[in-house]
Amino acid sequence: MNSFFALFPLLIIVFIALAVLILEVFLKRENRDYLAYISLVFLVICAFVCIQFWNKAYYYFDGNLLLDQFALFFTFILLLSTGFVVLLSMKYISLQDVNYGEFYALLLLAVSGAIIMVSSPDLLVIILGLEVLSISSYALTGLKRKDELSSEAAIKYFLLGSFATAFLLFGLALLYGASHSTGIPTIIRYFNTEADLSLMALIGLGLIVIGFGFKIALVPFHMWTPDVYQGAPTPITAFFSVVPKAACFAIFLRIFYPFWKTAFDSQAIFWLLWGISVLTMVVGNLVALRQTNVKRILAYSSIAHAGYLLVALLAQDNSSLVFYLTVYLFMNMGAFAAVIALSKKDKEYLELEDYSGIGFKYPWIGVTLSIFLLSLAGFPPTGGFLAKFYVFSSAVRQGLVPLVIIGVLASLISVYYYLRIIVHMYMREPSREVDIVVENPALFLVLFLCLYGVLQLGLYPRNILVLINQAVSLL
Amino acid sequence: MIELFLVFLVFGFLGAVLIFMNKFLGPTKTNPAKESPFECGSPYLQEGINPFPIKFYLVAFLFLLFDIEVVFFFPWALVFKEMGTTALVIMFAYMIVIVMGFIYAWKKGAFQWE
Repeated sequence: MNSFFALFPLLIIVFIALAVLILEVFLKRENRDYLAYISLVFLVICAFVCIQFWNKAYYYFDGNLLLDQFALFFTFILLLSTGFVVLLSMKYISLQDVNYGEFYALLLLAVSGAIIMVSSPDLLVIILGLEVLSISSYALTGLKRKDELSSEAAIKYFLLGSFATAFLLFGLALLYGASHSTGIPTIIRYFNTEADLSLMALIGLGLIVIGFGFKIALVPFHMWTPDVYQGAPTPITAFFSVVPKAACFAIFLRIFYPFWKTAFDSQAIFWLLWGISVLTMVVGNLVALRQTNVKRILAYSSIAHAGYLLVALLAQDNSSLVFYLTVYLFMNMGAFAAVIALSKKDKEYLELEDYSGIGFKYPWIGVTLSIFLLSLAGFPPTGGFLAKFYVFSSAVRQGLVPLVIIGVLASLISVYYYLRIIVHMYMREPSREVDIVVENPALFLVLFLCLYGVLQLGLYPRNILVLINQAVSLL
Repeated sequence: MIELFLVFLVFGFLGAVLIFMNKFLGPTKTNPAKESPFECGSPYLQEGINPFPIKFYLVAFLFLLFDIEVVFFFPWALVFKEMGTTALVIMFAYMIVIVMGFIYAWKKGAFQWE
């Protein structure tokens, strides 16, 4: 239905971002916690609006902004993870002296960019959204202004990110030259109908994969990931590990699902993605073995998870990809929440050594972090196991047996470094003095919500699978 | 066509060769005096990296906000008659964003030089 309502979720987010930005300069420094509450309330309102719009399929701007169920589901995921990030950062900001008010405004602007990305079938609009997301992300990375690592990460992210955007635009230009359109459906139709497929279009699509692959941190384009994840404020790291990934995979689904089905000349792209997927899984997991900084370990683990997600994309199984992303949201947010919990004024405990003996000293953090790590490694009965099981089984059904063997071996390797953190927490004598601020209700709320999500999705995923199947059925 | 391609190939290759030739042929031995910063023969007086005032930066940002963005009013004025209320609504949304930015810059003290 062509309706102005399609703009509502975006308008809410953008306006509240601007309002938070303005309020920040008028509020006193000690009152700035209100900004977090305001952001949270409006994120909830926006999520509620999204639920109300389910099944309505509003569109606007000649269909360039399309709120179908797919877009709504992804918007919901993005809003949920942003809500988690806001909850995580409330205490963190004042403890670590991160720049105050701009934090929430930039966060909301970033998520508005991601929402634009998932709710548009036009590549030009998608790139617009990606830019809104990226530019806010660059600024967010550098918000710990007194920290050298943070500034370095921001510069690195900015330089590499703008380079990746150039790839993306070049790819889009080539695709436009070949198919005379920037809309994904038209481009796909061009790929399907053109008998002699021009090299130009294939190169264009390859460049687009590179551009988005950078944001997802697929392996040849992953170099920025560990540094940026380490340097950025930890809640922002959690944000980076979920939101851009989810948004870019939504676009991959929009492009590749119709593409696989009919394009008879898609072998080149298929093998390109196959190779990237293998590299991502193997390199991500192998390099993580050598890391001693927990944030870097989680960075490499998020690279590896991008590889598993690509397996799902290659297996043409949309619902298991979206399910994996949903589970990934909960387990990764939870793991980062536990990492954020281990901090005090102007100090974060991020080295593996710091984790020695944590499990007995702070039992709740220890237990929940262990469960999230086990879920990331893929142990039953957590959501991580089920997600990996769905992905790999559908890949086997598609005949991608070598890919599945590599994937399973890679995830076996990953067990080592996830378990290493748990071993440090429970089986080592504490070697360093760690005392943290425990009273942080918002953070524990996130921990328990994520715990609930991981276990619910692992034990009884039926309801969410029904929703996901509805969402992806229209692709 | 192929000749044109050859021309590009030859000159491109030549460019690459000329760029890397220095690297390969030039002497690479270093000594401490060679590595030190060069300041007209005299010993250098200060570090190369200094903090410098970023006020002009700020001016550039404000220029972006109030000049470049306001330029969009001219095409808007041209198409206003055809588009009617839609144009009005869009421009008001745009104005709100600009004014928000203006208030933010003002309250943050971006207009104070000292």
